Amino acid sequence: MASGRHVRIMIAKLGLDGHDRGAKVLASLLRAEGYEVIYLGLYNTPEMLIQSAIQEDVDMVGISFHSGEHLTLTPLVMQELHKQEADDLPVIIGGIIPPEDEEKLLEMGVSRVFRGSLAREVIEYLDDYFSTKGP
Amino acid sequence: MGEKKEDAGMADAYHEKPADLETWSGLPLKEFYSPDDISGFDYKMKIGNPGDYPYTRGIHRNMFRGRYWTRREVSGYGTPEDTNERLKYLVAEGASGLNVIPDNPSIMGIDSDHPRASGEVGVQGVPMCTLQDMELLMRDMPLEKISMSLIASSTQTPVALSQYIALAQSKGFKPGDLAGTTQNDPVHCRYAGFRISSPIDLALKTGVDVIEYCTRHMPRWYPINVNMYDLREQGLTAPQELAFGFSMAILYIQGVLERGLDIDEFAPRFAFYCSAHIDFFEEIAKLRAARRIWAKIMKERFGAKDPRSWKFKFGVHTAGCSLVPHQARNNIIRVAYQALAAVLAGVQSLHCCSYDEPIALPTEESVRLAIRTQQILAYETGVARVADPLGGSYYIESLTEQIEHEAVRIMEAIDGKGGMKDALESGWIDAQMDEASLRYQREVENEDRIVVGLNRFRIEEDPRAGDAHRVNPEAERLQVSRLKLLKESRDENAVKESLREIKLRAEAGEHENLIPAMIEAARNYATLAEVLGTVRVAMGEPYDPFEIVSHPFF
Repeated sequence: MASGRHVRIMIAKLGLDGHDRGAKVLASLLRAEGYEVIYLGLYNTPEMLIQSAIQEDVDMVGISFHSGEHLTLTPLVMQELHKQEADDLPVIIGGIIPPEDEEKLLEMGVSRVFRGSLAREVIEYLDDYFSTKGP
Repeated sequence: MGEKKEDAGMADAYHEKPADLETWSGLPLKEFYSPDDISGFDYKMKIGNPGDYPYTRGIHRNMFRGRYWTRREVSGYGTPEDTNERLKYLVAEGASGLNVIPDNPSIMGIDSDHPRASGEVGVQGVPMCTLQDMELLMRDMPLEKISMSLIASSTQTPVALSQYIALAQSKGFKPGDLAGTTQNDPVHCRYAGFRISSPIDLALKTGVDVIEYCTRHMPRWYPINVNMYDLREQGLTAPQELAFGFSMAILYIQGVLERGLDIDEFAPRFAFYCSAHIDFFEEIAKLRAARRIWAKIMKERFGAKDPRSWKFKFGVHTAGCSLVPHQARNNIIRVAYQALAAVLAGVQSLHCCSYDEPIALPTEESVRLAIRTQQILAYETGVARVADPLGGSYYIESLTEQIEHEAVRIMEAIDGKGGMKDALESGWIDAQMDEASLRYQREVENEDRIVVGLNRFRIEEDPRAGDAHRVNPEAERLQVSRLKLLKESRDENAVKESLREIKLRAEAGEHENLIPAMIEAARNYATLAEVLGTVRVAMGEPYDPFEIVSHPFF
């Protein structure tokens, strides 16, 4: 990964969905790769998430969805980003996502969708992303 | 992604051998097993015929010759009317039991009109706010004839049960006429993503109330289904699944004993919900070991004298976490092996995952396939003809023993930490789960564990090829406006009075059973949040787990 200051990533669950095993495991595995991860835990609203992300000055936000709320909640996240004038903060999404929704999420402004991927694919993407852009 | 291995050529593939010589849970295995491995086993004491203590070989002498396992499929989505349609479809397709799951707001004990319920109503289950929802959900269903499983598991359970009873009473039936199951394992809900709404004392109180009430008034109802499955889904090993699940069961048992019931009055109606994971023999051995452990817990630890108390009754949910979205049709095969393991282990009730669950809510087609998987097992393969067909296998009996030994060791460790309540509150159980899930994922990442289609044999898939099931987008709006209308039209004073009664009883002490007062409140169309919130406040918790909404009356 990029040298200099650690890349900071916020990982969160939104809404009432409690499937947090994937998010927690990914947070641990990213930390093991040298990323600084802030795991925001369960039950966040889009407002709570974006406010925390700005406060913590993170370089990327990762959201884990497992209960079908990605199409309703993601637009609210993007709206909130816009409201906070933080449109350039990249958002990635992972979890249980129907393949045909991937394009819709990308159109909403999501940088990348991982559908039940391995952590190493996420790490590969992050390493690549931050080696070109820096944190 | 694994290309290197696949390109290594035919010679390597020809000589390839299993790299992983332990069970999924890491138990060591030998090359083969022989009479030496079970030479010390006293057949009668340790294994026994099917139907005989300690029930290693099954709880019925004739097993499926007496009756097939119940084939249940979980449903719940959209409005109560939408789910009612799905239930009727399942009955028409030959499902022999019904399983309804509430949506996330209902599981958490908040109503569809709660600000945090927005975007969640009818998404992952069906809303169950009031008696009206129950009336719509069960429309045209003969309550006295069906076996109904309410997968109300959380602190919501006593309210859902009260709604069901109030509905039955309005049709002239008594609680004793009803057959079915409530999952009612609110303590475990902290590990199913609902910690905020499952404080341990409230969870134990509601769980024990339901068991006590059903024991006294509903002889055809199974009041509790201890959910080992959800624990296993956190990444646990097979022995941990049993040890943590039994230790939770013991918490409820102790609570019910304190209400003055005798162990043999309620233990015969205790049931369990287990996982069938992907390691075929280990899962069979696990379920056989579970029967032996439970029989001993009942007889030796709690002094149960009724053989019905000794019998471990369980449903199986095939392991959702073993499925992957990549080449999703491969999941059909995973599920079939898991279902076969459950049947060979003598399961009472089986839920097969639909192959598309790692992608979206199941479609009608994929749910049908899950039912067909069970029907092929039951009617074509012949595996149901003889009880415990693997009993006596040197390997299976040894592995059963190994798992029993390891599970009992973990249970003793929990007792050594002051019991399950302390182990939960201290975070010890959480740490065990985090460690297990991280270990598993590292092994998958390193390809020490092969998951076909995920870390090996991956192909490019067409991202547009889905036909995911979609929830009726109007469901939330319909549900919320109906709830609003109901609140405007019900007898407000009657609601208030019945909530006051719940409050008084809850404040009278932990041993005061709240279900009769909850049935009255349900009849008056008090909402889930109002009823449960009243109990929460009486127990020193906030009315609303999110601390946004306050009590509408007091």
